[in-house]
Amino acid sequence: MPLFEYGNVKIQVDEDGFMENPELWNDEVALALASTEDISELTENHWKVINYLRDYSKEFGIAPMVRKLCKETGFQLKEIYDMFPSGPAKGACKVAGLAKPTGCV
Amino acid sequence: MQKKTEQLAQIPEMKYYVENEAKGDRVSQFLEIFASILKHSNYRMALEHYIKVSAKCGRCTSSCHVYKTTGDLKDIPCYRSELLLSIYRRYFSLEGSMFSRLFGGFELTEEHIDKMAYSFWNCTACRKCVLECPSGIDHGLLTHLARYIMAEMNLAPRALVISTREQLHGKTANTSGIPFIALKDSLEFLEEELLEITGQEIRFPIDLENAEYILFTPVSDFLMEADTLMGIAAVLHSAGISWTIGSKYYDAINYGLFYSDLVLARALRKMEEETRRLKAKKILIGECGHATRSASFLKTYWRGDDCPEMLNIMELTHDLLKEGRIKLDPSKISEKITYHDPCNIARQGWIVEQPREIIRALSNNFVEMTPNKTENYCCGGGGGTVSIDEIRKYRTLVSGKVKAEQIKKTGAHYVVAPCANCKKQFRELMEDNKVDGELVGLHDLILKAIVF
Repeated sequence: MPLFEYGNVKIQVDEDGFMENPELWNDEVALALASTEDISELTENHWKVINYLRDYSKEFGIAPMVRKLCKETGFQLKEIYDMFPSGPAKGACKVAGLAKPTGCV
Repeated sequence: MQKKTEQLAQIPEMKYYVENEAKGDRVSQFLEIFASILKHSNYRMALEHYIKVSAKCGRCTSSCHVYKTTGDLKDIPCYRSELLLSIYRRYFSLEGSMFSRLFGGFELTEEHIDKMAYSFWNCTACRKCVLECPSGIDHGLLTHLARYIMAEMNLAPRALVISTREQLHGKTANTSGIPFIALKDSLEFLEEELLEITGQEIRFPIDLENAEYILFTPVSDFLMEADTLMGIAAVLHSAGISWTIGSKYYDAINYGLFYSDLVLARALRKMEEETRRLKAKKILIGECGHATRSASFLKTYWRGDDCPEMLNIMELTHDLLKEGRIKLDPSKISEKITYHDPCNIARQGWIVEQPREIIRALSNNFVEMTPNKTENYCCGGGGGTVSIDEIRKYRTLVSGKVKAEQIKKTGAHYVVAPCANCKKQFRELMEDNKVDGELVGLHDLILKAIVF
């Protein structure tokens, strides 16, 4: 299990860079993870997506359907890709501390 | 010499993660597992025939999308198949074992196993080479068998192993780990969306008993393919079909088709149990090539009474269109459309014309990619490779290169790929190869064109 270090953050991640212990997630960890996704800073819009993903995942045990994410946050899919270049299922979930999606996702 | 596509300066690495890889004497393990599978299956008949007729003539070079891009002789289908046939010939055929006792010859080694571990996953099991082989060798079958033997010694991509474990033994019983509460929430959301888009109260029935159809769709659709699902629900609603989704098991994905007969059978058993629980009359599979082909093995594994009829949603939608039970308006979509044939339903000529007739009913602007239908090229993510994220660049820049060029040539806006595997691969290969256009499912377009 690789150790990922960034500033004061030291966390265990899997080979794809997703958190192994999501309960350790906090704002600082999100910033650290964002650095691995070609995201230089987390804007208000980034946080809107991250917070929605986290709230949904807490209630339902997984990330929401992509269309629902767009509808609820008010962003077009393209805008989400602009914010998280590897997309809602990979980049956004990684920064939000969610598990890596499996199967054909 | 085969004309290659634009040469790559460097071939991206094709190296997948493995969980708890076998250690110790892998040669003995491989041979023991191979012997056991031969004892309990029908593979011996095919292998016995193949070792006699395999001429290694190389006709298959003309059809392989991987070889076309790499130009590497190791990517020629019959070269790859020989990796397994040589083991069968030496250890399990009468003449081979006699010959080697007298004169020596090929011996299985650790290096040979390493070679197979990667070579058989460079192949996307699309079976286009089968059309070219004058000896009728099914290289796709050999890829499947070699992967099956290796999977039994834990030498299989972790991405597939963990998805399958969740499907067969996990709480959610599906490859994407979607809990039922999330599924229910998504379906309610889609019902609201459908009301907004169509003005119709269209439902996604859950656990309806005695329905005419139980729908199993690739579970990734519930995260990624809202439009495909809404299009399917709109068709079934418009035609007045009774249908349901089961709450206990709702995944059509079956990676067993790619790497393990045991997984294939176990996932089908779950589908059978859910169909019986809800007393559904027929089994309907969503937009997906491998899910549909794997479900065709229900006939083999179904226990007791007759196996219910199984069909793909495109077959049903086509029937409903011909019977006049759904109506499509060809004036709603003006953009140019092209269609990609998923290998697992097109190669054998099974579902080829139906989707084209549907597209012609909703558009006057359809263009084929070449070659197509039974001779189509793989999306490059077939055979389970699309789920392996760590080989994305290999998938999109090597195995998907030919497909990317095909799409570019059509100049189409909508690229229809009615398959969960192909959809994920297309999104990534269109991005990595800078191909313009929008990837959609067939029912995404039907949703735009259907008239109530």
